[in-house]
Amino acid sequence: MKQLNYKFVIKYILPGLFLAFCLAIPGFTSGYMLRVLNIALITYLCVLSLYVILGMCGQNSFAQAGLWGVGAYMAANFVMKMGAPPLAALLLSSLGTAVFAFVLGFAFFRLRQYYFTFASVGLMAILNGLFMNWNEVTGGALGITNIPSFSIGGAIIKSEPGNFYVIFFICLAAFFLMKVLFNSALGRSFMAIRDNEIAANCLGVNSLLTKSIAFGISGALCGAAGALYAFLAGYLSYQTFTFQQSTMYLIMIMLGGTMSPSGALIGTLIISLLQEWVRPLQNYMQFIYGAGIMILMIVQPEGIFGGGKAIYDKYLKHSKTARTEAD
Amino acid sequence: MTSISNTQKQPVLKLINVCKRFGGVVAANEISFELYAGEIFGLIGPNGSGKTTLINLITGIYSVDSGSIVLDGKNIVRMPIHNRARVGIVRTFQHPRLLGRCDIRANISLGKDLADKRKIPDTDKYQERMGVLLEAAGLTNVDLSDSIEKLSYGQQKMLEIVRALLSKPKVLLLDEPAAGLNRKEMSYIINLIDFAVKEDICVLLIEHAMDLVMSICQRLTVLNFGQQIASGIPSEIQENPAVIKAYLGGSRNAEN
Repeated sequence: MKQLNYKFVIKYILPGLFLAFCLAIPGFTSGYMLRVLNIALITYLCVLSLYVILGMCGQNSFAQAGLWGVGAYMAANFVMKMGAPPLAALLLSSLGTAVFAFVLGFAFFRLRQYYFTFASVGLMAILNGLFMNWNEVTGGALGITNIPSFSIGGAIIKSEPGNFYVIFFICLAAFFLMKVLFNSALGRSFMAIRDNEIAANCLGVNSLLTKSIAFGISGALCGAAGALYAFLAGYLSYQTFTFQQSTMYLIMIMLGGTMSPSGALIGTLIISLLQEWVRPLQNYMQFIYGAGIMILMIVQPEGIFGGGKAIYDKYLKHSKTARTEAD
Repeated sequence: MTSISNTQKQPVLKLINVCKRFGGVVAANEISFELYAGEIFGLIGPNGSGKTTLINLITGIYSVDSGSIVLDGKNIVRMPIHNRARVGIVRTFQHPRLLGRCDIRANISLGKDLADKRKIPDTDKYQERMGVLLEAAGLTNVDLSDSIEKLSYGQQKMLEIVRALLSKPKVLLLDEPAAGLNRKEMSYIINLIDFAVKEDICVLLIEHAMDLVMSICQRLTVLNFGQQIASGIPSEIQENPAVIKAYLGGSRNAEN
């Protein structure tokens, strides 16, 4: 019999097991299911971008699918028109989308409160219109086909498991970057703005700059997601990067909880997998999401992860050494 | 006496004929006063007399209609809120405005973040300073990883002052720090104000607890309907007939 700390279990052992499980997934999962998971992980990066702009900074954006598209079309163009290696294209499109979002943020965040949300709706509409009509860059309604697969150095990664590991490690890196951000002065200034903008200003936080940086970071995540999607799918269509998709990201983060990267992951996985498992019910899905979110917001506004954390804080955090039968 | 010695020093913060109107309401009419380093300056008056408005004008939340606010010889009326904080004007709010969904440590760290933005050099002494401040505030027994909601209202107010002091401000504006606190908590507030004075910070104190104001403030100014009806040392103010009529008389009767 051992003294085992709940805190230790919840903070290290459970995530460790989860990580090991994730790494083993390609060993027992079929090609199609793995493709679903790959798309889910790419989606996770976009939902994580909402964690930054909405969860941390308190600014609701409906433009994340648009930024995702910006990253995707950038990557396709870098690789196909400029001959950039995919890894460089990934980094460049992430950076490019970040700059794009940051600059737009500077224009948008002159608007206070919910007006940014209105502006983001407009941005989403404009971006979707651009994707559909800017033939030279996006291929217009026909889209872009035959985008090469991802490769590192000379090694081309075509197989589904290979792609899984690439996307998984990028998601993992993004996850830990978010943790670092959360504990940094920049992250705190985001949260200060979220909780009370005037009070944040009185602590020396420049609203306009800080919110633009938050939107820029969310752009970087969406840009990386877009590039990964372009390499994975090999085909880009304006029909992918829609307002509907942006709304789906919001539903995912609301479900999982806006307050942590883990919440974003829970929400993303539940909805992505649900979409696959209950295909027969597809016609009812919108209804189920809508009703589910409404009930959740009334019962547990902090989402599934927020609810779990509340229980942990209440019952487990201060029972420092709980006795467990662990040999 | 203090005011005589003060005249030899340069004021840190100086308000010159500051005016502010909201529609037909005059919230501040030709307000002028000076704050010196290490001084506790009281700002009193009935509710709605324009005290908080004045703090909002100094921190830049409202812009002045006319007049100037001078910090260290520089007029800051056109400076945005965050830059005023960065040059050393830090405030607390009547109701503490903390990061409600973060732990206590993150909340305190915001003060350190401001110190970094202010390019205060001795950041390596931050831990020590934080320890001293938390002790002065009676917060030594709290778990810094706890959520802010675990703190009582009084502790939250204390934490807000600790956070403000960690940024090493030049001017600390306290908006009713003792409101809603018990005697024990009041003594912590006094500890924290003492700490500020030792660091040569000038403290502007808005407060309705007259015993506190009269015992710790060196000078006072009294507002009524946005007008400065009296200024001076506490004993003068207590005798001033205009002040007794507008404010003190009422509150004394209420207390007795």
